[in-house]
Amino acid sequence: MGCSSSLPDRTSGRLGGLNSENGGAPDAKNLRVKLVLLGDSGVGKSCIVLRFVRGQFDPTSKVTVGASFLSQTIALQDSTTVKFEIWDTAGQERYAALAPLYYRGAAVAVVVYDITSPDSFTKAQYWVKELQKHGSPDIVMALVGNKADLQEKREVPVQDGIDYAEKNGMFFIETSAKTADNINQLFEEIAKRLPRPSPS
Amino acid sequence: MIFSIECEILLRLISLNPLKGYVILNAAKLFFCSFIVSFSFHTVNPENDGRRLQEFLLNMEAAIRDHPLWAGATEEEVDCAMEGLEKYVMTKLFSRTFASFAEDAKIDQEILEKISLLQNFLRPEHLDIPAVFNNNASWLLAEKELQKINAFKAPREKLLCILNCCRVINNLLLNSSMSENRVPGADDFLPVLIYVMIKANPPQLHSNLKFIQLYRRQAKLVSEAAYYFTNLVSAKSFIVDLDGKSLSIDETEFHDSMQAARLVIKETRIKTPPALDKPADLPVPSRRLHNKGGSNYPFMEAEAGELTVGDVERLLSLYKDVVNNYTNLCRAIGHPPLSKLQPSFPHSEETNVLLEQPEEIMKTDHKAVE
Ligand SMILES: Nc1nc2c(ncn2[C@@H]2O[C@H](COP(=O)(O)OP(=O)(O)O)[C@@H](O)[C@H]2O)c(=O)[nH]1
Ligand SMILES: [Mg+2]
Repeated sequence: MGCSSSLPDRTSGRLGGLNSENGGAPDAKNLRVKLVLLGDSGVGKSCIVLRFVRGQFDPTSKVTVGASFLSQTIALQDSTTVKFEIWDTAGQERYAALAPLYYRGAAVAVVVYDITSPDSFTKAQYWVKELQKHGSPDIVMALVGNKADLQEKREVPVQDGIDYAEKNGMFFIETSAKTADNINQLFEEIAKRLPRPSPS
Repeated sequence: MIFSIECEILLRLISLNPLKGYVILNAAKLFFCSFIVSFSFHTVNPENDGRRLQEFLLNMEAAIRDHPLWAGATEEEVDCAMEGLEKYVMTKLFSRTFASFAEDAKIDQEILEKISLLQNFLRPEHLDIPAVFNNNASWLLAEKELQKINAFKAPREKLLCILNCCRVINNLLLNSSMSENRVPGADDFLPVLIYVMIKANPPQLHSNLKFIQLYRRQAKLVSEAAYYFTNLVSAKSFIVDLDGKSLSIDETEFHDSMQAARLVIKETRIKTPPALDKPADLPVPSRRLHNKGGSNYPFMEAEAGELTVGDVERLLSLYKDVVNNYTNLCRAIGHPPLSKLQPSFPHSEETNVLLEQPEEIMKTDHKAVE
């Protein structure tokens, strides 16, 4: 179920790492963005990312072995591109103290919860507070209620998500990694909200 | 700019010869004398040294790009030159910059000792590593990659050891979860990395990470490399803070196990060196057995028929010593004992079989630094 078919393509795997990095020095038209994923284990972080990375055809995007680091470039309407470098974090409680190592320097934090799990919503709020305390001040934050396809099992009302996000100046969206609903929108909206280097 | 004079000299030297690649190295040698000497005027301060080196490399890169001789050079050529510079200068500065700070050496020692205690009892279950990921051959391979870190002096090569270790783990996770219809993410990766780190216990772990952080060219410690590097830092930090509450283990059991491990380690320290190093202590084998050339292995020439029941005990004790020594030796050279691996296939092939890595970045020129 979910995203079981979304394993990265290993045969065409290329590393987006060292060699290619210098090539396109990031400029106003081509942004490179570090995005960190936070949220309880099981809320669907990996599925969201794989859906995003796999769902879009981009021959230059490099899919790596393993799903804990993935990158994907999207083109925006104003002919700029944004390359998301997506950092997954371990959601287990015992690793919570390590999170600052991962979100340090991140331009974007995506905090995910599962709409069928109030606990995961509470945990999401914990991450938001953490980020407000220790993240970089201009970090773009998104709150994501995932598994929106499971309407009949919903336990976190949409309005709760909307209200909490609004109070904390975050972007909010409900997604389903299973049906791909709102996955691309999530990343496109984030891209629009990124601070642009002012053209000099 | 502090380095403008040096840069000028270097560029003048480069322009004397159109063979850029060759010349840059020779010029670099002359030039770095001055840079390295200038380094030694300052007291050791890792953060300052790191900043100075990064600044120097940036200036060098800018100077190379501006120079007419390099006008037609591709990104790759410039990058290659820069990698060469980083390696050259860091090899020269190694003894000053690596683990030279007393505080770092102390942290290294504390981590090494803590891990050697943990090694005595820590099991994958304690980190809730799912049984599907239990794969001793892959774990050993990952450990070996990580242990290679001390065979290199250049930050780039040390970083590559880390990336190779992570790659082995990722391959394992991907292969094992293929059948499970699961997507391996950070939840799966980090626990296995921590376990591998504990099993590998590479000396000077903290210093190695700090060295890479400070001296790897900043433009290269980004993206995927930065992600996996951060995971190493994170695993180290987890181990440093690890206590009974960090693991799926009863807290009293944790403390008892740590205590027991302390005793075991103390004992093995007293017991060494093992018996084979002092053959005089060995029981004398039965007369009938030859002992040609005063060999340490008195049963080498023996025939099965010649052995008496009394020889069994001696044989067993010799056998144990041989196995112990062999295992220790293996550990020392970072090569897993045969018993834990599939029968011998050459190391490099073995790596490739599991790595499946066409990526250039992974192709480290794994020549140990002299
Ligand atoms: N119904 C439904 N299941 C999902 C969705 N996203 C993820 N899942 C399932 O939730 C489980 C955990 O997903 P995973 O991406 O591994 O969560 P992570 O721990 O946050 O990375 C898996 O069994 C997925 O199949 C979704 O949008 N809808
Ligand atoms: Mg995951």
